[in-house]
Amino acid sequence: MNERDVKSLSLHWGVWLLGRAATVAAVLLGAVVLVLAMVHLAPGDALDAQGIPDSLRPVLAAEWHLDEPVWRRVILQTLDLIGGDLGTSAAVRPGSPVWEVISKPALRSAGWLGAAFALSLALGAGLAVLPARPRRFARAAMGSISLLPVFLLAHLAVHTLNEGAFTAIQAGWIARPAWFALPDQDSSLRTGLAVVLLATGSAAWIEVFGAAEHALTRARRSPWATAVRARGEPLAPHLRRHLALALTTQALHHAAFLMGGLVILEKVLLLHGAGFILWDAALLRDSPVVAAITLLAATALSLIRWGGDALRVLLDPRLRRER
Amino acid sequence: MASVTPWLPLSFITTASRLGCLRADKRDSMAPAEGHAARYADGDSSRFGCLSALNDRAKPMLITSFLGFSLTLTATAAPLRYAEDRAPSHLNPLFTTTMSEARINELVFEGLFTDDTELHAVPLLADTFRSSPDRKTFTVDLRRDVVWHDDVPLTAKDVVFSVDAYKNATTASSEAGRLAFIASAEATGEYQVVFHFVAPEWVPEDKLRFKILPAHRFDGNPAIARAHPFRNQPIGTGPWRVGEFLGDNSIRLEQFADYYQPSQLSEITMREVADKNYQAKLLLYESLETLVQVLPRDLAALQNDRKVDLYPYQTNSWWYLGFNEAQPRFRDPAVREALGGFLDVGRLLAPIGTGDLLTGPFVKSSPFYNHDVPARPFNPDASRARLTSAGYAFDGRQWTKDGVPLTVRLAAVENLETAQDVVLQIQAQLQSQGIAVQTEFLGNAEWKQRVWRDRDFDLILSQWTFDRNEDIFEQFHSGGSRNFVAFANPKVDALLVAAHSAQDPQQKKTLLRQVHAEIAADAPMVFLWTLDNYSAMSTRVQNVIVHPFYFFTWARGWQLAQ
Repeated sequence: MNERDVKSLSLHWGVWLLGRAATVAAVLLGAVVLVLAMVHLAPGDALDAQGIPDSLRPVLAAEWHLDEPVWRRVILQTLDLIGGDLGTSAAVRPGSPVWEVISKPALRSAGWLGAAFALSLALGAGLAVLPARPRRFARAAMGSISLLPVFLLAHLAVHTLNEGAFTAIQAGWIARPAWFALPDQDSSLRTGLAVVLLATGSAAWIEVFGAAEHALTRARRSPWATAVRARGEPLAPHLRRHLALALTTQALHHAAFLMGGLVILEKVLLLHGAGFILWDAALLRDSPVVAAITLLAATALSLIRWGGDALRVLLDPRLRRER
Repeated sequence: MASVTPWLPLSFITTASRLGCLRADKRDSMAPAEGHAARYADGDSSRFGCLSALNDRAKPMLITSFLGFSLTLTATAAPLRYAEDRAPSHLNPLFTTTMSEARINELVFEGLFTDDTELHAVPLLADTFRSSPDRKTFTVDLRRDVVWHDDVPLTAKDVVFSVDAYKNATTASSEAGRLAFIASAEATGEYQVVFHFVAPEWVPEDKLRFKILPAHRFDGNPAIARAHPFRNQPIGTGPWRVGEFLGDNSIRLEQFADYYQPSQLSEITMREVADKNYQAKLLLYESLETLVQVLPRDLAALQNDRKVDLYPYQTNSWWYLGFNEAQPRFRDPAVREALGGFLDVGRLLAPIGTGDLLTGPFVKSSPFYNHDVPARPFNPDASRARLTSAGYAFDGRQWTKDGVPLTVRLAAVENLETAQDVVLQIQAQLQSQGIAVQTEFLGNAEWKQRVWRDRDFDLILSQWTFDRNEDIFEQFHSGGSRNFVAFANPKVDALLVAAHSAQDPQQKKTLLRQVHAEIAADAPMVFLWTLDNYSAMSTRVQNVIVHPFYFFTWARGWQLAQ
């Protein structure tokens, strides 16, 4: 590769990166504007949701810019966000800086999400490499569970664990466990349950499993696999690469679904993460909090997609050649 | 650390109260097995309490219980845990808008006066008090042994500061309306405050309940922003102080050691349990000790659990089905009465619990309730005649006027427990009479905008809850801020104005009973019922009397057995 080629390649990657950055910025802006418009266009506002007396409405509406037209409110808040000002919470924690309200819960959510993400991929990949018979059994056993929506799985799990433990406590078989009763009691069981349910529910696990199994089967049956076998070389490194590629693609598709599932799960299991706050904020029409969490989630998703794309390019030489 | 309770007098009083209630229970439909559950007597004198109902037969039991409680109950380190659907957004009494905030404020803050168990005003932070002859000035001497949770003594300056803060326009306190009767307050001594009223006040103690704030925490500036750090670092003079805000939105309160009167519970924890359906389960699992309000569907399960006690209490709240009189078709009283007559209110109530059916805008135990107003009967034949007289025709399937079918949109606020059952029943009953009903359930914010501001509804199912003053002016005066059903009746307006300015309680009672009769005749809404409310507690919580509105007013006397 001569100097000209290197320059050309650098320029190519520079343009690609700029393009992706511009796309991400547009996505973030679009998401924030859309969500703000939805919150402001929904009937009622933060004053209504908090039951503030009508006599105070003029003063507070002016203070919180609720007397401005919707388009102006959306523009003002978007400009504040672009300037790095997340604002103050109007209803969830009135008067508190939004960053203070969401930072710790967002970190907690990120932890649960990351763990669920990893578990989902590990479970899917782990079972996909099993021999055919146990794999079929695993598919049958786990498939029906995985197809249940996350909220239903969570309710079932909580009910079963609670009733079982309560019966055992009443009968004197066990002492009252520290986690009892779910979901009220903060415990590692509750957190672990959330991660497992998120990783398996709403078809998350079965889709990852399906994609991994399909990738491995296709790779094993491909002509190059036959060639590798004929050369007497080990097939495993090639299969691992194919598996990683399939899992990366699947992970990119699933990131947004997992985030959505987490919002529901946090509500059902009383996990005080960003999703829990987002739910309350939407009900209370707390637009600064909703916008900030949306911005965080959209940023996280964009970064995941960006990272995933980069990983795919690294893993797949064909994609590198296309670039 | 376990110890024999030092708080015998209150134990005695509350035991007496419960025994008295036990006797009153026999009128109730509850089984004898639930006899411990108090049912407050009707009537003016013992409306909310039943201490006065104690009879001779109960006295030996009383003494036994007195001794029993004294020996067996202990002050322990275990917390009393109670659930709220949603944790308070802040703990500043200036900005209280929800019952969860009002309840926790009751534990942390105090007013000059409070309620005794018969709901009569008694001094709390006040020591002595007197009115001027013209009733426009009221002098209060404060207790001298009260300190804030940071050990700074309470003085008259705090009271004056609190009045200024609540009334300050910049503060925009949601409680400002409760102090509208006060023109000003001045400190005439370190422990003496003089209130100047806008008009003569006959029983100002009834109104001087607002929570007193520490002036030193605000640097004496009464213009207080909602964002002031006091919102999550509050200090009061109450028996419990805020210990910690936990990560799961729970709030832990700890006993204030320097409180000027003894209290029993060493720790109280407010838990946020968003799913109301799950709260009863947590009580059964002994993960909670207190459930503020029991859903009717959970009553049976809790009633049958030997580790749970139910405590009935009467609230000043009633359900109604309101017509939007801003719409021409509902301006005709015949149409309103016809729709009301199609409804079998008893059958509407049955699936959601028990309660008193009403004929007007007060609960039956209110002194303002007019018992002479006859109940509106379920009478479809009369309703059909009324609709026909109003120009409607029945084609065998539906009612029409000028070819347009009579259809109504029925809205209910979604967090009104069990409203869904009632809405569906109303829909079924009206549709069986040829009136199509579209139903919708609105969230709080949507409800406020659609119903309160835009008046975009035909029929609404809702509930009004009042404090002890039962002031219905805003709901039924033609210029009332909460009169979103657009009810207008000059006679009712005049009576409400007269009742508002009446100083003589007897005169006020007479005027409001007339208001009841006039409103019932005009039928701006179908008055439905006041529900029997129950709170539930673990049997480990003893000496319990609950306040019908603020719940924890008398929690100082509650005890938690090991």
